Amino acid sequence: MDDVAEKIIAILRKNMRNQEKEITLNTKLTDLEIESLDLAVIVFDIEDTFGIQIPYNANEEMVDFATVGSVVERVKAVLAEQNASNAAA
Amino acid sequence: MALNGKGRRVAVTGMGVVTCIGANVEKFWAAIKSGTHGIGAIESFPLHDLYIKIGGEVRDFDPNERCKSKAVILSDRFSQYASAAAYEAVQQSGLETPFKNGERAAAIVGSGAGGLSTLEKAYEDIFVHKKKATHPLTLLRIIGSTAVAHISIDHGIKGPVFGTVSACSTAAHAIGLAFQMIKGGSVDVAVAGASEAAINYGSMRAWQAMRVLSPDGCYPFSKRRNGTVLGEGAGILVLEEMEHAKARGATILAELLGFGMTSDASDMVNPDIDGPARAMQIALAEANLAPGDIDYVNAHGTATSANDINETRAIKKVFGAHANRLSVSSTKSMHGHCLGAAGGVEAAVCVQAMREGFIPATIGFDAPGNECDLDYTPNEGRHRDIGYTMSNSFAFGGLNAVLVFGPPSN
Repeated sequence: MDDVAEKIIAILRKNMRNQEKEITLNTKLTDLEIESLDLAVIVFDIEDTFGIQIPYNANEEMVDFATVGSVVERVKAVLAEQNASNAAA
Repeated sequence: MALNGKGRRVAVTGMGVVTCIGANVEKFWAAIKSGTHGIGAIESFPLHDLYIKIGGEVRDFDPNERCKSKAVILSDRFSQYASAAAYEAVQQSGLETPFKNGERAAAIVGSGAGGLSTLEKAYEDIFVHKKKATHPLTLLRIIGSTAVAHISIDHGIKGPVFGTVSACSTAAHAIGLAFQMIKGGSVDVAVAGASEAAINYGSMRAWQAMRVLSPDGCYPFSKRRNGTVLGEGAGILVLEEMEHAKARGATILAELLGFGMTSDASDMVNPDIDGPARAMQIALAEANLAPGDIDYVNAHGTATSANDINETRAIKKVFGAHANRLSVSSTKSMHGHCLGAAGGVEAAVCVQAMREGFIPATIGFDAPGNECDLDYTPNEGRHRDIGYTMSNSFAFGGLNAVLVFGPPSN
């Protein structure tokens, strides 16, 4: 598991009631008892940690937030986009 | 006039509103009937990095015109909206200001957040501009009970005067408590409702961070709904003991018949069905009505994924087969979510709906949202004989308040 994934899992754990639960990239967020308000806090924490902005709306079904792996992929995509635009500038 | 609680009934004799679709009842109702919304790009402050850029801002409101005292003109907008709406309601009631018998009158006017913009400005002065002092009126402007204090001074209301705080149920709780006081015999007249002026940069950042705001519009119960839109303003009623109102020849606009308040006691943001359903049932029982007697429900209908499905389920639980014959709508699609003031503004909608036999629409409705299968009066309001109406208010934290109104004579 890479650095981005580890950081994200640490953030997820911080917001879980049962922090001992096993987490893999295939784990569904719903299995971690993460609900909409938790997710807003988690996204905030991720944005803060990585210095990025993630469009997230609690009113919409977000496939990007289905599993731990999909969150990691989403964050990596935003990071890559940001690096590309920084390079262009 | 019965002085004890027995047999006392409660009339609505005045209404006042300040909203983004009209800063008085006449303009507001005309906009509601024509299905006009007041949601647009926020203009009252620089948006900086906000990515939610829309709101239902009050535009045609001049405090110098609408507020009578210098103290209110110098106050926060939430107090100005409240004072203006209260004046409008009192004027319609025909009661003389100051009230002749102020000791027998109450003012219960709340706010979800009080003078938030004043607080923001004060903190900016201290933290950013390093000013030596805040404006001397900062504290008075912020306090959530300032609006109601101004109203008591404006009209000489000398009985119970206080605000309520229950987020989006604030106004409904205020109106409901005033109703109970009049019924119970402790006062004969009450000015009740709430006001809110929470559209500012810091507040928008806080709402944005909760990820419950829509970037494009307020579309309750519809497929494309993607969050709520903040509104602002005030909604205030004059309530009066029925015989007191009749004795002075007042025009009775409606009768307030029932009030139900409950708490889910379960979660801060995920509502449950039981709490809202019980609030509706308690209000119906107090009104001595069967579910089948209600023709129109002004829904809480915030256009969030959580509220709209849950409210639909709760309505079905209470109304059973009659749910399909109910006219339901969320006028938040037009005036936005006025937060604490919502229940006051929407109580005025319920009264006007009965008076004119007109069901307001839920505008911006593309197709029914998942599990949203009631008659939400999509896009166009319509005429219908209306016997009784219900106004739902459900707040963060699971705080529920429901009001039931009936026609003036029955």
